[in-house]
Amino acid sequence: MKELETNSRAVLVGIKNAFGLPALLLISAMTGFGSFAHEHGLSLYMSMLSTILIWGLPGQVVHVELYGMGAPLIAVVLGVAGANARFMPMTLSMMPIFDDSTHNRRWNYLLAHMISINTWAEMLQTGPEIRADRRMAYFLGFSFTCMTSGVIGVLQGYILFESMPQTVSLCLIFLVPVYFGLIMSNTVHPPFLLAFILGCVLGPPIHLLTPEWGLVLAGLISGTLAYLLRHKLQLLWKNKEGNG
Amino acid sequence: MDDTSAWIFFLSAVLATYVWRFAAVMISHRIEANHPIFEWFTCLAYGIIAALVARTLIFPSGMLALVPLWHRLIPMALAFVGFYLLGKRLWVGIVFGETGLIALMWFNNGAEGF
Repeated sequence: MKELETNSRAVLVGIKNAFGLPALLLISAMTGFGSFAHEHGLSLYMSMLSTILIWGLPGQVVHVELYGMGAPLIAVVLGVAGANARFMPMTLSMMPIFDDSTHNRRWNYLLAHMISINTWAEMLQTGPEIRADRRMAYFLGFSFTCMTSGVIGVLQGYILFESMPQTVSLCLIFLVPVYFGLIMSNTVHPPFLLAFILGCVLGPPIHLLTPEWGLVLAGLISGTLAYLLRHKLQLLWKNKEGNG
Repeated sequence: MDDTSAWIFFLSAVLATYVWRFAAVMISHRIEANHPIFEWFTCLAYGIIAALVARTLIFPSGMLALVPLWHRLIPMALAFVGFYLLGKRLWVGIVFGETGLIALMWFNNGAEGF
């Protein structure tokens, strides 16, 4: 990647790179979320703040859905924590990229907040090509552009919810499960894939048993099972590769 | 009263998300990142998100409930076909899925007001 001489230059390049598919995806997904939040009775103000302060669509959706259902507070907390728990490993795997930079380590708490699937994937890919002391500026430029697109999306989805043709709202709402279904199934790590498949299979029946706790319970069972089986899976995977 | 409880739920959701990021930064400043417990957390996240995706498709709570189950499952299957057979490009999968949904609604005239 080009030499980024100054921080402001790095911010600008980050902004520029976010325009395109990342910004477009966020606008559409968050338009879907805006309509979804409106549909479930969340206020516009809170819907926009949700994108800024939670910044993780699965957790935002869980919050809106469980809240709309009238689930207990503990179910919302655990549901959101569960849906967004991936931020812990994601953050842990991204921090080394900023290790060689000279910034005050307290900035890392802000950087961690800006992580989303899009910005994380971008940083893991592009980050190493950028000068170590310009990575933070680049990342902030990139992720703030994504977040701004997201907020615009929420606003548009929320306002247009009632006047939008039903087909359009349906397509935008449908975008959310498609997006996360594709992104989460696309993992090369066998235990994560198993957890995903088990979660898909167990989710609906467990939801019938206990609507408030279904997600947490299904995730707990499928995730723990996948975790316990991880060594066997790794062996299976290797055997398959050896044979094929 | 109702408003206050909405804010309590919302701020709890905000904290429930940030706590992961916060803990991760704290840990990254202290110990090595390959402790097995992180893998378990990630497995849990995958399981929960998968359950959420499946539930949104099979027992949707909102507008999606207006279209029959097959109008949700077939486009989802198409999205996976497009994504995995055509080079794992996200936008291809999305276009496949959405086109499938629109086509099904078009042919069946199923959804109200379509």
